[in-house]
This record gives sequence, C-alpha cells and structure tokens, in this order.
Amino acid sequence: MSGRTVLAAGALTAAVCGGLALGTPPVPPAEFADAFVVTELRLPRLVLALIAGACLGAAGLVLQEALRNPLAVPELLGVSSGAALAVAGPLVLAVSVPLAVQPFLAIGGAAAGGALTLLAAGAARGPSAVLLCGAAVAAGLQSALLVLMVLADQLDLQLIHRYLLGSLSARTWDDVTELTPWLVAAVPALVLCAPVLSVLRLGDDDARALGVRVHRARTAALAVAVVLIAPVVAVCGPVAWVGFLAPHLARRLAPGKDAVGWLPWSAVWGALIVAWADLPARLALAPVETPVGAWTALLGVPAGVLLLKRPPAADRSKAPPTGIRVPEVPAGRNSPHGVPRSRRGGAE
Amino acid sequence: MRRLLLLLVLVVAAGCAGMTAGRALGPAGVWEVLMGGGSPLDRHIVLELRLPRALVALTAGACLGVAGIVLQSALANPLAGPEVTGVAPGAVLGAVVASGAGLAGWQSPGAVVVAAVIGGFAGAGLLWLLTGRERADPFGTAVYGVLVSAVLSGATAMVLLAAPGELGSVVQWLVGSTEGRVHDHWNLLWPWALCWLLAAWALAAPLTLLRCGEDEAAARGLATGRLRLAALACAVALTAGAVATVGALGFVGLLVPHLAFALYGADLRTALPGAALTGAAVVGGADAAAQALSRLLTGVLDADRLSVPTGALTTCAGAALLLIVARRIREEETSA
Repeated sequence: MSGRTVLAAGALTAAVCGGLALGTPPVPPAEFADAFVVTELRLPRLVLALIAGACLGAAGLVLQEALRNPLAVPELLGVSSGAALAVAGPLVLAVSVPLAVQPFLAIGGAAAGGALTLLAAGAARGPSAVLLCGAAVAAGLQSALLVLMVLADQLDLQLIHRYLLGSLSARTWDDVTELTPWLVAAVPALVLCAPVLSVLRLGDDDARALGVRVHRARTAALAVAVVLIAPVVAVCGPVAWVGFLAPHLARRLAPGKDAVGWLPWSAVWGALIVAWADLPARLALAPVETPVGAWTALLGVPAGVLLLKRPPAADRSKAPPTGIRVPEVPAGRNSPHGVPRSRRGGAE
Repeated sequence: MRRLLLLLVLVVAAGCAGMTAGRALGPAGVWEVLMGGGSPLDRHIVLELRLPRALVALTAGACLGVAGIVLQSALANPLAGPEVTGVAPGAVLGAVVASGAGLAGWQSPGAVVVAAVIGGFAGAGLLWLLTGRERADPFGTAVYGVLVSAVLSGATAMVLLAAPGELGSVVQWLVGSTEGRVHDHWNLLWPWALCWLLAAWALAAPLTLLRCGEDEAAARGLATGRLRLAALACAVALTAGAVATVGALGFVGLLVPHLAFALYGADLRTALPGAALTGAAVVGGADAAAQALSRLLTGVLDADRLSVPTGALTTCAGAALLLIVARRIREEETSA
C-alpha cells in the first residue's frame, strides 16, 4: 500500500464523514442510518459530488493526453456552454417546454455542443488545431448565451448565472439515477481508449509509426470526454477547473506512470476535489449555500498553475509540453512574428 | 498609403451604416437631419443617440485594435490580445467591483474608467508575476495568459454572485455592447483615446525595432525593458478606456492586429494606424450589423425588447475566423 493510496483513502474518509455529518443540522456519525437529512439529502449529494468529480477528472486527463496540451480543459469543449444555452433559451424566450422534455434539455444541449466541437474538430489536422476549434465553438456558444443573458430579466439572469457556476444544492437520488446510464456507456469506452492515449502522447508521427490512426483516435478520445462531461454538466452545471487540476495532481503524485496508470488516479483526485469543495460550499455562509464551482475554481486554478510551473524532477523527461502551439496566422506578404512555427513539445 | 485611404473610406462607411441602421429613421431622414432639417424628434434621434453611438463604436474599435497590436509587438507574442493577457478581463473585473461596491455606476462612467485601468494593470501585473523568468517564451506566456484571464473572469462571476443586483447592468460589459451610449460616454472616451493613441504612435518606431529581436534592439541602444513597460502601460490604458465605455468586445484586440499585419506589413509606423482603422471599421461594422440584425429578429420573432449586442457579433466572427485558422494548421508538416 503506497503513500498516495493511504492519502486518498484518508481524504475520502474525511470527506465522507464531513459531508454527511456537517451542515444544518449537524448529525453525529452514530445516527447516520436514521437521519432523514443524511439518507435522502446528504448521501445522494455526496455520491453525486464523487461521481461528478471522477467524471470531470477522467475527462480532463483524456483531453490533456489526447491533445498533448496541459491546458486542454473540459470548459473548452463547448459542452457546458451548450448545456447552459439549452437551459437558458426556453427560459428567456418564454417558450413553454413540455414537462417530460425538461430533464433532457441540459443533457441535449451539452451533447449538441460537444457534437458541434467534434464536427468542427473533424476538419482540424493537429492537436492544437483541435484545441483551437474547441475554443472557437465554445466562444461562439458563449456569445449566443450572452445574447440571451442580455435579454433576460433579473430573476432568470440569476438562475442562469448560478447554473453557470456549478452547484450541487438540492440534488436528490433522482439526479444520481439520471447519471447511471451515461456512466454505463462511458466507463467501458474510457477503459478501451486509455491505452491509445499513451500512444497519442508520443506525438503524431510516432503514434502513426506504431499503427495508430491518429486522427480517428483523437476524435474518439474527444467523444469519450464529451460523453463523460455532458451528463455531469447537465446535472450539476460546469464545476470549473476540476478537469484541469485533477490530471495534474495525478501526474505529480505518480510521476513514473503513463496515461493508463494516471487515468484512475485522475478520477480519484477529481472526486476528492469536488467532495471537499462541497464542504465550504455548504458551510461557509451557512445556511445560505455558495456554488461549489466557485470553490473549485478558487482552489483549482492557483493549485494547477503551481503544478504546471514546477513539473516533478523525476518526470522532467516525460513532462507534458508546457506551451500551446501557435497557430499559423493568416499572414500576408510579411510574416509578422519571428516565432518558430514548429516547437515540438512532449516526449519526442 | 492607398490601403490606408481605402480603409478610411471603409471606416466612414461603417460609421454611416451605424448611423442609418437603426429602427426609427431611414437613411433619407438621417440625411435630412444632417443637412440641418428634420423634426425635433428626428434631430434628437440622430444627433443625441445615433451619432455618439457610432462615434463610440469606432473609437473603441480603434483603441482595442491598437492595444492588441502594441501588446503583441511588445510581448513578441502573436497570441497576446488584451483578452488573453488578463488586461481586458482585469478591466472588466475592476469595473464590476467598482460598481458592485457602489463607487461607480453606469451613470458615472468616469469612475468606471479609473477602476478599469486599475483592474487592467492588476491583470497584466498578475501575468507579469506568474510568467517570472519564462517571459521571453511566447508559448508559456500565452498559457499563463489564458489561465490569468480565466481566473479573473471567475472572480468577476463570484463578485456578481455576491452582488446579484448589479447583474443586469453589468452583463452588458461582459458581452460588449454599444447600446445606449450617449455624448457623456463619447466626451469621456475621445480625449483619453486620443492621448493614448498618440502615445502608441510615438512608440511605433522603437517597437518595430524591438520586433526584430531583443538583442538587435538592445544593440541599437534601445532600453528594451523601459520600452516594454511603456508599451504595456499604453495598451492597458487603451483597453481600459474601451472596456469602460463599451465592455469587453470579444476577439477584436486579438484578431485585428493579424489583419493589420497582413494588410500593411510588419512596419508598425503604417501597421499601427492600420490597426486603428481596421479596429474602427470592424467594430463600427459590427455595430451596424448588430442593429440591422436586431431589427430583423424583432420583425421575425415579434419580440419588442430584442437587441443583439455588438460583442456577440464580434465574438461570433472571431470564432469563425479561429476555425478557419485552425483548419490551416498543418502541424505534422511543419514539425516533420
């Protein structure tokens, strides 16, 4: 049993106990089985936090490895903007949606946003081109969302805004069961695509030499990430930066491994991050709840930057490329910037 | 020179389009007012509402374009638009915090400019601190810039959560909109813009030298550190002024410089005014298109409060341009 297993187990136990016991009203551990507030409110919430975190963490690793870019975050896939757009659209335009359709709105929007990115990325040729396509689709959807926000009145606006930050409040077992079919589909796909990730990491040329169809493999990885992220975003909103921080933590704490070894750890750290962030989200301003996404962002970005800035010494040869590749700008007769166009990162 | 003139014509055309694209009054009515006639209502619409709006759009576009080109030259980084170096998000955060704390309001744009400048400098300073020794590496700087921008927009979202009452009026800033800009905004913007545009113009020649390479410039006796600082100050001030009046117009500061370089070459003495004109034409055109689109959508959807913000259009156009750029990348070939 290695040190990080102990660490993860300890953090998990603490998060479970804290998540179930603390809040209004506090419940001592001995009474967990009897208290309604624990079994029907806090337990599903905790389970949801763990699942959401695991999905986001795993998706983050898939994206970062497949695109060979430490900055490839789930937020850049257009998934969360798509979901928010689908939620905000009917709300703002006062279009009545049948009750049966409502739960599928966000998930449909998320899937549509992801599909749009996949479609756009299909034309791209390299990893950073895929990233750029994702950023472009996300920006386009974001601007559509902002148009809706300008139109919205104050009440709708707060609703949309809160959703955009990501929140776990008032989630029940129904929300957890809603996630299950997606997980059933996503987990085997994840396991299948994990070995390919290690190959993609070597760079396109080497991967091709090993017999991997690079373009297809990357699109498949992207699709897996979308399937992982879409249901989570639909239920909890985009809990920010978990998909950024968790893979970096996994790499840092297990420097000797490859993508296959990092994948489960990335999921574990993601789950722990969200479960832990949910505690201040509930307790900081109790009884008023703050969105959990605000806390993950607050914690995730500085921590991730620190991890990015100092790759572990043992892993320096394998460290992911720290630079994003600069696109070839549509320059005219004079190339405006004396920047080398081909900076190879990664383990070539 | 011919291209500059052509662009000048384009800018004027964009301005005219902005003047005539509105809902209440057609081109003939606008012409009549400009010739000194028209009813008092028409005169009010044209002179008090449309004229300042078009002028603000053009000036803000010029500011953002020049800010982008100065930033990209000073940091030797083609990805260093104000949006991804923390300058624009910082300015937005400053403006939002100031209005959230009740120090500045939508009605007192003067204090907003100050807050936006402070926020812009804070964002740029954060990036400066973060990049540390890797400052010369444009790729690393771009990575950190994206992170800093994300953090700052996250902080803006948190502030808005704490002060939900401000949300409605502040959303306009987040998108970038030229809706309802009046002479007050214009009076505030033009002296500021003029002053800093002239400063940027003064920096054009040394910046061109700096683009040839750090060592080259130092060998010719240029104080590169001081120059970079001055350029940064200039870019932040221009961005802050634009953000305070029209909000964060997406992608203008990032993409206009590339257009300007493509049109005018790498010499900043022509590319810089080129960027100003291109930015003005882009934002002015987007403003006119946004008005036309709102009019069209209002007719189609039969909703009376629909107005498409200009920033949404520039972001959409920028996203489309990004897609085209992404399609052109052939990494395998360039690196093989």
